[in-house]
Amino acid sequence: MIRVTGLSKTFVDPKRGQVHAVDHVSFDVKPGEIFGLLGPNAAGKTTTLRMLATVMKPSEGTAVLNGHDIVREAEGVRASIGFLSGDMGHYHRLTPRETLRFFAELNGLEGARLAARVEEIIKLLDMQSFADTKVDKLSTGLRQRVAVARTVIHDPPILILDEPTSGLDVPTAQVIENFILNAKAQGKCVMFSTHVMEEAEYLCDRIAVIHEGKIKMTGTMEDLRAATGKQRLREIFLDLLGLGSTARRAHAL
Amino acid sequence: MRFRSVATIYRKEMLDTLRDRRTLISMIVLPLVAIPLLYGVIGKFMSSSQKKAGEESSVIAVTGGERFAGLTEALTAGGFRIVPRADMKAAVTNGDIAAALEVSEAAGKREVKIYSDLTRQASEMAASKVRTVLDAFKENGYKSRLRALNMPEDVVDPFTISRVNLAPERKMAGFFWGMIVGYAVVLLMFSTSMYPAIEMTAGEKERRTLEALLASPVQRTEAIMGKILATTTACITTAALTLLSLVVSVRYTEFGKASAELRQMTSQVPLDANNLGLLFLVLLPTAVMAASLMIAIALFAKSYKEAQSYLTPLILAVVFPLIVGMLPGIHLTPALALVPLFNVCQLLKEILIGEFHALPFAITMASNIVYAAIAFAAAVRIFKDEKVLFRT
Repeated sequence: MIRVTGLSKTFVDPKRGQVHAVDHVSFDVKPGEIFGLLGPNAAGKTTTLRMLATVMKPSEGTAVLNGHDIVREAEGVRASIGFLSGDMGHYHRLTPRETLRFFAELNGLEGARLAARVEEIIKLLDMQSFADTKVDKLSTGLRQRVAVARTVIHDPPILILDEPTSGLDVPTAQVIENFILNAKAQGKCVMFSTHVMEEAEYLCDRIAVIHEGKIKMTGTMEDLRAATGKQRLREIFLDLLGLGSTARRAHAL
Repeated sequence: MRFRSVATIYRKEMLDTLRDRRTLISMIVLPLVAIPLLYGVIGKFMSSSQKKAGEESSVIAVTGGERFAGLTEALTAGGFRIVPRADMKAAVTNGDIAAALEVSEAAGKREVKIYSDLTRQASEMAASKVRTVLDAFKENGYKSRLRALNMPEDVVDPFTISRVNLAPERKMAGFFWGMIVGYAVVLLMFSTSMYPAIEMTAGEKERRTLEALLASPVQRTEAIMGKILATTTACITTAALTLLSLVVSVRYTEFGKASAELRQMTSQVPLDANNLGLLFLVLLPTAVMAASLMIAIALFAKSYKEAQSYLTPLILAVVFPLIVGMLPGIHLTPALALVPLFNVCQLLKEILIGEFHALPFAITMASNIVYAAIAFAAAVRIFKDEKVLFRT
C-alpha cells in the first residue's frame, strides 16, 4: 500500500550549506500493518512523512501510496491518506462539528453522505457532548479527539502520523494508541514516526530506524534483536545509531 | 480548478473571520460607530469653537479714535464692543480682547494700526472684520467729500467687483465627497483586510493548522483563491459600510450651520444605484489587489506578530498616494491613471463630481485589474513555495 523508493530531500541552509534531510530512503508498508519510523530529533522523520503526505516535494526518488505517485498524482495520494501530527492545531473559532464538515467537504463528501459521516464519527469518538462547543473552549484531550476525527473523516486506507503522542499526557496518548490499533484492526495501513521507544515496541509490526536522513535498518523487533544482539529497543536504537558505547560510559558515571 | 473546493475554503474562512473580534471591530464597528462619532464630535467642536470665536472677536480696544470723527460709531455699527484698556497690546496677547486699534498722527499724516494675535482664531477674525469696517469707513469718507464738492462718486469708484463661483454645487459636493471617500474607504479597506489576511496565512502557521489543510485533497490554487476571496469580501464590506456611514453622517448629523451647509451641498451628489454600482466596480480590483498583496506578504511570516510587523508599514505606505489624491488641482491624466491607489481615489472623485472621462476610466480599471492579477499570481506562487511555508 505504501512503497517508498530512493526518497530524498535536500535543501540549502545558509549556515550549513547543502543538507540531506532525507537521503535515499526506501521501504514498504502493507495494509493492516503498523510501520514505525524511529529516530532522534532532526533525523528526517517529519520531512519523510511530509513528502509522503505531498505537503513537500521530494528532491529525488518517489513513493506510491494506494496506487498513486506522490509526485505525479498528489491529489490522489491526499484523498487516500489521513495525516496527523502531535503538535497540529485547530481552527479555534470553529466547533468540532464545523471542523469535521470542513474537512469532509475538502475530501469530496457532500449532502446526506457528508452529514451521515460527520454524525457517525461524532458518535464513534463519543464527541456528542462537545460537538457544538468552540474548539478553544475544549481541553487538550478533547481537542486531540477532534484531531483524530478530522484525520479519519473520509475513512482513508492509509494513516500517516507524525509523532502523534508528542506533548500529550498519558490518558490522551492512550486515546491515540487505541486509535492506531483500531485502524490496524480495520485493515488500514498505518505509518507513524516517534522517538518514544516503548510506544514503537508496543505498537509497531515493523520498525525502520532513521538517523541523519538514512535508514539504518528495517525489520520486526525479532529482526532488529537478531541483527544487533540486543534485547531492549532502546539498546538496539543506540547501537544502530553507533551510540551504544557512549550510552554505556554515561551509565557507568 | 474546482469551484466547489474554493467555495468550501471561502465559507470556512468567512465563518472564522466573522467570529474574529479584531476583524469585526475593524470591518463593522469602526465604520459604523467611529466615523459618525468622529464626524459629529469634530463637527460640534468646530461649530462651538467657531461660535465662541465669533463672540470673542467682537471685543476690541481703541486709542486715538477721536482723530477720526465717526470711527467709533462705525466700529460699533459693525458689531464691535469697544472696551477701555490701558495696555492694549498686552490685552491682545493675553487674550483679554480680540484686537486693538491705534490711531496716531505724525507730521500731519494719520496712521491706523491693527494689533492682533494670529495664533488665535478670534483675534484673526477680529482683525479681518476691523479691516473691512475701516475700508468701508475710508470709502464713505471719500464719497462724502466728493458729494461736498458736487462731484460724482464714481470718480474714485468707477466699477464694482464681485466674484461668482461657476462650479455647480454638484461639482463642489463631488469634490468634497471625493476627498473623503477616496481616503477613508481605501485606507479602511487595507487596514481591515490585514486581520483576515494574517489569520489565514501566518495564523495558520502559528496554530499549526496549515499542514492539515495542505494534506487534504484541496489544490493549493483553490485554497489560496478561497482565502483571497474571503479577504476581498471583508475589504468590500468595509468599503460599503464606510461609504454608508459617511453618507449617513454627513446627511443626518446636526451640529449647526456648517452641517446644514454641508448637507445641502452633499445632497447634490446622487448616490443612486448607478453611481454606487460604478463606485463598487472601481473599488473591486483594488479590493482584490489589497487582499492578494496582504496575503502574499503575510505568507512569509511565521507568526501573527511577525506578519503584523510586515503589513503595518504597507498600510502607512498606502497613505501617501491617498494624500496626494486629496490635494486640490490634481486631475486623472492617462499617465497618472497608471498609479495604483492614487488612480482609484481620483476616479472615485470624478465619478462623484459627475465628470469622468472614458480614457482615464478605462486605463484605471485596466491597470488595477492587471495589478490585482499580478498580486493574485504572486500569492498563488508563494503559497506553492514550500521554502516559504515551512520556513524555519
